[in-house]
Amino acid sequence: MRVRNIVAAILVALVLISCGGAQKADVIKVGWFGALTGDQAVWGNNEFNTVKMLFEEINAAGGVTVAGKVYTLEAVGYDNKGDAQEAVNVVRRLTSQDKVIAILGPNASGNAIPIAPILESAKVPDIATVATNPKVTVLDGKVKPYNFRVCFIDPYQGAVAAGYAYEVLGSRKAAVLYDVSDDYSQGLRQFFVENFKKLGGEIVADESFKSGDVDFRPQLSKIKSQNPDIIFMPYFFKEVALSANQARELGMTQVMMGGDGWPSEQLISMGGAAVEGCYFVNHLDYDDPDVADYKARYLKKYGIETELNGYLVHDAVLMLVDALKRADKPDGESVAKALESTNIKGITGKIAISPETHNPEGKDAAIIKIIGGKYKFQQKYAAK
Amino acid sequence: MAQFLQQMVNGLSIGSVYALMAVGYSLVYSIMNFSNFAHGGVIMFGAYFGFFAMTQLKLPFPAAFAVAFVGTAVLAVVIERIAYKPLRERNAPFLYFIISAMGASIFLENIIIATIGPTFRTYPDVFGRTSISLGSVAIGRLDLIMFVISAVCLAGLVLFIEKTKIGRAIQASAYNMKAAALMGVNTDRVVMIVFALGGMLAGIAGVFFGMKYTVYPQIGNITTKSFVAAVFGGLGSLPGAVLGSVLLGIIETLVAGYLSSQFRDLIAFVILIGVLVFRPTGIMGKTTEDKA
Amino acid sequence: MSSYLEGIIMLSGINLIAVLGLSLLTGFAGLFSFGHAGFMAIGAYSAAICTTIFKLPFFVGIAAAAAAAAGASWLIGRATLRLKGDYFCIATLGFGEAIRLILDNFQGLGGARGWPGIPPHTTLVNILILDVIGVVLLANLVRSRHGRNMIAVREEELAAQVAGINTFKYKMLALVVSAAYAGVAGALLGHYMTFIQPKMFSMVKSTELTIIVIFGGLGSISGSVLGAVVLTFLPELLRAVDKWRLVVYGLAVIGIMIGRPRGLMGGFELTPKSVRAHFARLREAKAARADQAAEEKGGL
Repeated sequence: MRVRNIVAAILVALVLISCGGAQKADVIKVGWFGALTGDQAVWGNNEFNTVKMLFEEINAAGGVTVAGKVYTLEAVGYDNKGDAQEAVNVVRRLTSQDKVIAILGPNASGNAIPIAPILESAKVPDIATVATNPKVTVLDGKVKPYNFRVCFIDPYQGAVAAGYAYEVLGSRKAAVLYDVSDDYSQGLRQFFVENFKKLGGEIVADESFKSGDVDFRPQLSKIKSQNPDIIFMPYFFKEVALSANQARELGMTQVMMGGDGWPSEQLISMGGAAVEGCYFVNHLDYDDPDVADYKARYLKKYGIETELNGYLVHDAVLMLVDALKRADKPDGESVAKALESTNIKGITGKIAISPETHNPEGKDAAIIKIIGGKYKFQQKYAAK
Repeated sequence: MAQFLQQMVNGLSIGSVYALMAVGYSLVYSIMNFSNFAHGGVIMFGAYFGFFAMTQLKLPFPAAFAVAFVGTAVLAVVIERIAYKPLRERNAPFLYFIISAMGASIFLENIIIATIGPTFRTYPDVFGRTSISLGSVAIGRLDLIMFVISAVCLAGLVLFIEKTKIGRAIQASAYNMKAAALMGVNTDRVVMIVFALGGMLAGIAGVFFGMKYTVYPQIGNITTKSFVAAVFGGLGSLPGAVLGSVLLGIIETLVAGYLSSQFRDLIAFVILIGVLVFRPTGIMGKTTEDKA
Repeated sequence: MSSYLEGIIMLSGINLIAVLGLSLLTGFAGLFSFGHAGFMAIGAYSAAICTTIFKLPFFVGIAAAAAAAAGASWLIGRATLRLKGDYFCIATLGFGEAIRLILDNFQGLGGARGWPGIPPHTTLVNILILDVIGVVLLANLVRSRHGRNMIAVREEELAAQVAGINTFKYKMLALVVSAAYAGVAGALLGHYMTFIQPKMFSMVKSTELTIIVIFGGLGSISGSVLGAVVLTFLPELLRAVDKWRLVVYGLAVIGIMIGRPRGLMGGFELTPKSVRAHFARLREAKAARADQAAEEKGGL
């Protein structure tokens, strides 16, 4: 009986906690969601930490002025385990219970797509961070009124990678290894293959693995026997490091190339010599002083290095603050309208939102090469 | 031909990773008759124990290795005491054990995420990342060392079960727990020892796994493959677990290498079902009928 | 009602249908499936094909979902139902993963990137109607001769066989019916989310459903109803504890198994009759205690 009482008390307390907290008049609530647990937790925690840090800094500097009145920003963040169904729950909660005026995140396209109808009925805009699937903002030729993003999209990234591999590195025979159960990896693979073939190159091997796999030697051995000039690896850094190490163990010396799943301090510590001399497409140039400044602030506050997501959510916050300053009043509809005419400079480059696609158009991709365990900026590269 | 030999080496290496996990799991199954889904979580803890022993306590590799498998042995016994013993005492059906094990597995994974975070951690380099070339076939140095140490551990386990008094008590309990209890075997102690042994194997697997594939909270998930391998070989049979693992490793590798890496797991699944249709208790499983 | 609350109620209703089916399989026929999310996926994709590509009405999609999932389960049952215990578990686990892999590779339906733009046909009303139909059908099934035979198979398979029950047939019946329920749940989920992705139907989803059935109580329909509602709301209530949420969830699962192993309502049904009987028992017990107390007093 006592146990039951304790359980009941805990449940009541939880309900109270989750419903409590009356909204103060001079606070603007901003939602964030992403994976704080599950296999995407590394990126989710990094995003939420960045949002909290930036909001603290903005508030310490006096807050944001919207239509002549000063507000402070409050972040309301929830975990969705990287799960689409939980994404829907969380967005319903953020819009109807927490009454946020805008939402930052998520990183995964599969979580950003199903929330669109809820955003539309609640009139709350969302800025996705690294959701690169075109369908996040545009479906069947129509732009979704409340979905925005801060990153470039897969077709662009795939074209950049294929173009750079063919034109600059002079590769003619490419092999692809990708994660068949991951939406990001499948998308990037498709656009790389299409563009590489269009340029006149040949795909000599097209192999895949499944999320959670740790051994890629069977696929790599097969790729090795086809003797490609370059291996394209459109997936995240943990698998990149593992597969690169295994490829080198098998005696493969090819240059490897990847997309924006690569950049992380951990790629270097995990991949070491195996990823030396490899290339990837990135959203930003690490030599940029603004980038370095954010990176240092994050390290100082949290004691760990930021991941790529941090830079993008950083710019999503800049986009939001800029839109708030230009909005007629602090509500979702006005912010969404202001977001459509965004034209700012973020740490990941120029962000000019197109009203037709809600994507930052013309954002240059940076080509990074790993030299001596450091990310060396090679050039800005725009796909033709 | 060179590719085929290389693929066989790959398959053996992957299979031996599965085997190391499958044996501990099958050992527990042989006594308890349920799939211990917390085994993956214990393996993951083993990887972290070894990692922190080397990086924080600055222990040399053999000492860190010992820390890891003693730690996981204790952890496995603690889990048994908390999550399974009450069920055992009540003669609960195997479903309840499985669910309890799943609860433990969810707990283990998430306590790591909540306390020390979800980041990936890389083991200090002990054996080097190099490989030995035999003609055009490359064999990883770590793979070889892992193979030898696993073989020694498994041989030790077999000797322990065959030659010692406790080992015979384990065999008797695996055959029939109630009869063993009537013959004066302290079955509670047997269960504890079996979990400790299973935990040790998990610790060993965890350290090697961590060295080979880095350390992160979800590494326990790969044990799903070793469950399949153990079923393949026949649940509760230690030689079956090893055989099933090696076969699964080789089948997966050959399917990915020669048929289709996209449909690898689908084809492996069809082969698994095919084997089970003809041998419903796996290749070397106990073919016991219902004890009516 | 806030859209958040409405969303959670709808999800509980959808989960309930899948759980009812699984409750028949696990609670009444004693089979343990790790692949039920696979049947949900088949249902979700079949229904979406009907409504999105062929523009058919929603109820046709739901019927197609039930039929497709039932058909798939019949095929898989032919191959695996003779397996026992963990062997069957692993076979269903493999099945669920295989379905997911096929969908991941099938670019025509979006592949791993998923399929957006499914019409939002799922409403609170049609969920509740299907919930009621689901409960009534299942209650009638388990109270029929077929249902009693299934329980016999669960309790003592060998004895049931000796008594002349075709155990294979009843296991198959339970599997096909439960898969049809899962298919309907998948159809509703797809048209609730307006987006489906193979990732949504992973092994984790299957285990969640099984945990709900066990939590509610094996062999109890009202337990499954209660379990589906409580366990859909619980993670939402636990949002306050942030990343500790799943730690608490894991502990709660173990706690229920060791503390209340029969689940909330194991073997017990909440019907008007059972409620009256319960109160009658309580009154009797109270009266008995009063008698005893009086006796003790008298004894002094």
